[in-house]
Amino acid sequence: MTATIAETTTSRRNFLANGIKAIAGFFILALGIPLTGFTISSALKKDKHDWIEAAELGDLSDDKPTRITYHYRRKDGWMTTESRKTAFVVKEGNDAYTVFASRCTHLGCGLDWDATTNQFKCPCHGGVFDAHGNVVEGPPPRPLVKLGCKIEGRKLFVMEA
Amino acid sequence: MGRIYAFLDDRLNLEPLVRAIADHPVPDHANPLKTPKALMYCFGGIAFMLILLQIVTGMFLMLYYVPSPDHAYASVTYIQDEVMFGSLVRAVHRVGASAAIVMVFLHMMRVYFTGAYKKPRELNWIAGIFLLVIVIGFGFSGYLLPWDQKAYWATTVGINLVATVPLVGDFLANVLRGGSEVGALTLVRFFVIHVMFLPALLLVFLAAHFFMIRRQGISQPL
Ligand code: HEM
Ligand code: FES
Repeated sequence: MTATIAETTTSRRNFLANGIKAIAGFFILALGIPLTGFTISSALKKDKHDWIEAAELGDLSDDKPTRITYHYRRKDGWMTTESRKTAFVVKEGNDAYTVFASRCTHLGCGLDWDATTNQFKCPCHGGVFDAHGNVVEGPPPRPLVKLGCKIEGRKLFVMEA
Repeated sequence: MGRIYAFLDDRLNLEPLVRAIADHPVPDHANPLKTPKALMYCFGGIAFMLILLQIVTGMFLMLYYVPSPDHAYASVTYIQDEVMFGSLVRAVHRVGASAAIVMVFLHMMRVYFTGAYKKPRELNWIAGIFLLVIVIGFGFSGYLLPWDQKAYWATTVGINLVATVPLVGDFLANVLRGGSEVGALTLVRFFVIHVMFLPALLLVFLAAHFFMIRRQGISQPL
């Protein structure tokens, strides 16, 4: 059977419909690309991290983790804010320290040091870590996060991971 | 696309709806492909497209904008200088605002000079006047939001204009300001008017406008 004209040629109607689709497509792209970039842009920005003065060595305990609180200025969108965080400093030897972020590696709750069992305990879902940051029990999938640290003039400096 | 439509049509019987909305002949005197000067019959549609563009770009600007005197200017500067495509999105919203008002005005001129406001279309003219006031209201309320010198003084002047209304002028001006000076309360008011009250009103009057156009059809040529 031979094809009829209607089947082989584009009707005026189809031609116009395709034209409208092409124009709509152009507008969707011309808007969609910039607006996507606009939306994700702040998420793509990397935070700049500097050394933060966190504690005097004399204030740190020799035999148990010391909870320290440090403050630093952070660029938060259009503002610069003062942030406050806590961490635990564990003395590993002469002038050797490990600094653990006091954030549970499960879903981020703040940890407490339990002096009776010598463990870090998470109040949220029962995560437990030992003094070296290893998971003892509960849902946390990873050991505690270590912060960068250095000593300068009897002071401990940390850097956000 | 075609298959998604076929799927939905199969279940929801969309065809009659689509035909009713999209399948109606445009008379030759209003069809720019047949009569070039009929381009003026597109002004309303162009205004509508620009308004859609304003809604979309405005929604995205709200991701970063903060309507507080402490942060408004800094958040706009942040959009302008630090957000990817920020200056573009902001420019589109700003230029689009002017363009929308220009197109609405040209559309009104078209309606006026073709006599399309006459019976039976008086009500649509009145709906149109509301739309005009709403669109200008968008312009006026949006102008304050960057909270820079121009914004502040333009709003001070605009509200003082309102204050010249006999008897109730001062009262109206204070209500608009939310107090006796342009300040924090004014900024929040203008922001909320700009992004909530006016859009709601706009939708109501656009719906009425388009409903009447479809009921009455486009006016006959002169
Ligand atoms: C938000 C602003 C407005 C939008 C989006 C809009 C949109 C439209 C559209 C798409 C049409 C179809 C015909 C055409 O495009 O010319 C129309 C017709 C009409 N508009 Fe508007 N319009 C607006 C404001 C106004 C204003 C300010 C007036 C006058 C005060 C007005 C009065 C009319 C009238 C009377 C008709 C019927 C014209 C005819 O049948 O020939 N509109 N409008
Ligand atoms: S957040 Fe610590 S156990 Fe879930």
